[in-house]
Amino acid sequence: MGILNIMVVDDEEAMRESLAAWLESSGHQVGLAENGLKALDLLESGDYDLVLLDIKMPGMDGHELLRRLREHHPGIMIVMITAYGSIESAVTAMKEGANDYLLKPFDPKQLMLLIEKMASQKDMMADYRLVRTRLSELEGAGFGDLIAGSESMRSVFRQIEEVAQADIPVLITGETGTGKELVARAIHAQSMRNCGPFVAINCGAVPQQLLESELFGHERGAFTGAIRTRLGRLEMADHGSLFLDEVGEISTQMQVNLLRALEEKRFLRVGGSREVESDFRLICATHRNMQALVEDGRVRTDFFYRINVISIHVPPLRERGDDIALLARHFVKQFSSEISKPIQELTPNAYRLLVRHSWPGNVRELLNVIERAVVVSRGPLIDAADLTFLGPEPGAVKSGATLMELEALHVRRTLDECDWNVSRAAEILGINRGTLTRHIKKHGLQRPC
Amino acid sequence: MAGVGRLRVEVIPLGPVDEVSISVVAANIQTFIGLAVDVAAPWPDPAYALIPVRGQYNALPILRALSESIDIDMLRLGLFAGDLCLPILTYVFGEAQVNGRAAVVSLRRLKHGRDGQRVLPHVLLERLAKVAVHEMAHVLGLKHCRSPRCLMSFCLGLEQLDDLTLRLCSDCERLIAGRILR
Repeated sequence: MGILNIMVVDDEEAMRESLAAWLESSGHQVGLAENGLKALDLLESGDYDLVLLDIKMPGMDGHELLRRLREHHPGIMIVMITAYGSIESAVTAMKEGANDYLLKPFDPKQLMLLIEKMASQKDMMADYRLVRTRLSELEGAGFGDLIAGSESMRSVFRQIEEVAQADIPVLITGETGTGKELVARAIHAQSMRNCGPFVAINCGAVPQQLLESELFGHERGAFTGAIRTRLGRLEMADHGSLFLDEVGEISTQMQVNLLRALEEKRFLRVGGSREVESDFRLICATHRNMQALVEDGRVRTDFFYRINVISIHVPPLRERGDDIALLARHFVKQFSSEISKPIQELTPNAYRLLVRHSWPGNVRELLNVIERAVVVSRGPLIDAADLTFLGPEPGAVKSGATLMELEALHVRRTLDECDWNVSRAAEILGINRGTLTRHIKKHGLQRPC
Repeated sequence: MAGVGRLRVEVIPLGPVDEVSISVVAANIQTFIGLAVDVAAPWPDPAYALIPVRGQYNALPILRALSESIDIDMLRLGLFAGDLCLPILTYVFGEAQVNGRAAVVSLRRLKHGRDGQRVLPHVLLERLAKVAVHEMAHVLGLKHCRSPRCLMSFCLGLEQLDDLTLRLCSDCERLIAGRILR
């Protein structure tokens, strides 16, 4: 148990003396005050962790002193002392900000347990202050919408600054959920094209037969249902930046068309006969190993070299140290504000739990976890108990797992990695989309909220 | 009479206390604290310390009485059959002036087990010896120890007291030796 600096405020000398004697025998430092004014004087000259405060005193009573202490010394823990029959008064004091109360005379066991609790709270507050200080240092280290303070992300920020003005294609790599689109947006925001549009498309989420139309647009009557001319993303990105997310999912045929459009800055809409021009900067992203896709023949070499002039790797969250706490705090503020819930922070235990998790879904997973915690949390702080649904790691295989369990685990992990793009997950798993859909139903898998 | 240094402990029965209890306390103080022990003639029952509404005796005035008119090389341990408390606490097994001159121990609450029945005499005597050594170590300036197996750790009740062996951790032993020699 830690040593506390404790002030006993009681108008009865016998109470003060006996409490002081008992507390000192446990090694605590004790200051004594016979009334509220003396207590305030002592607080000016000393540094106290805990005040044991009698409610019923002549002059300034315990309630009044409690209010003053809360106003001028908000960090001090306060335990109200009251006689049997005055519990209501103690409960009122709790509502006014007291940490706890004791009915006198105390059972020595109760007193010891309470002092231990307060000592533990003091340690927790010290941890909390450390975390807050560290987070305060890290805040302000963000870059646009990117929240980060880790050295690996600072390196990403430096690269963003370096490439932003160059107006050359950039390939952003990193696991799903690491914030590749935010990096792309930051590049755009820092570039000379920041007055133009930032147009994004997830190439893995659009069926390949529709991707051509999405990228290049189409003329009226180009195909059944093309009732009017539609601009493609390349055209929309004129004078701005075009962000092709999951660029590794584009078919080789489409890569040829895209490569030509990138080189010539002109292209035909689907069903069109007149070339349109568009001046955009290309930013691509992928969670795949592009070099391996090139070797497999799934990505054309010329296309790869065209999009990979400069590459930036976004590290996974598990390698970003302090960023977990920094992001968690940011998301708590964001979500609590969105749903008007007065949640300000996470407890040190909650931070510890978050830091221990390996975050296979990266920042996106953290965001979902915090959103859920904000919804379920009932107090002003999110505690570890609010994060119990974090559960075992997706990759964790328990001893004695059945084949069925392993299958469910692998399907779930693949879907998570693909951000629940069923077509892409099916492709990775080597089964068709329908089979994967049956597996999803069989195992009762659901996309995380 | 054996022991280290000139300091002595005077064990004083406060009112009627059985001879065996007095002897056990004296022997254990001498063994574990290492000070010479004298057993004084009984003092009167400390009626001055009675809190009538509680039917208990306030340990603080008893300590003050024990530390009055005391020789420079003497410490005192009062043994009392009545129920001790502090004004702020419902009961105490014993109480001491930390780094002072006196301690007092009560037999009252040591006599019973969890079921309310009287414990066997050897259990009572072992408890009494533990509390007496603990309180006398306080008088020598020791505070509660963080080692859970040390006799100077804080006991949350009789069960915990029974679980402790009658020994001090090496740190507390060293501290006591240092205080006695000082």
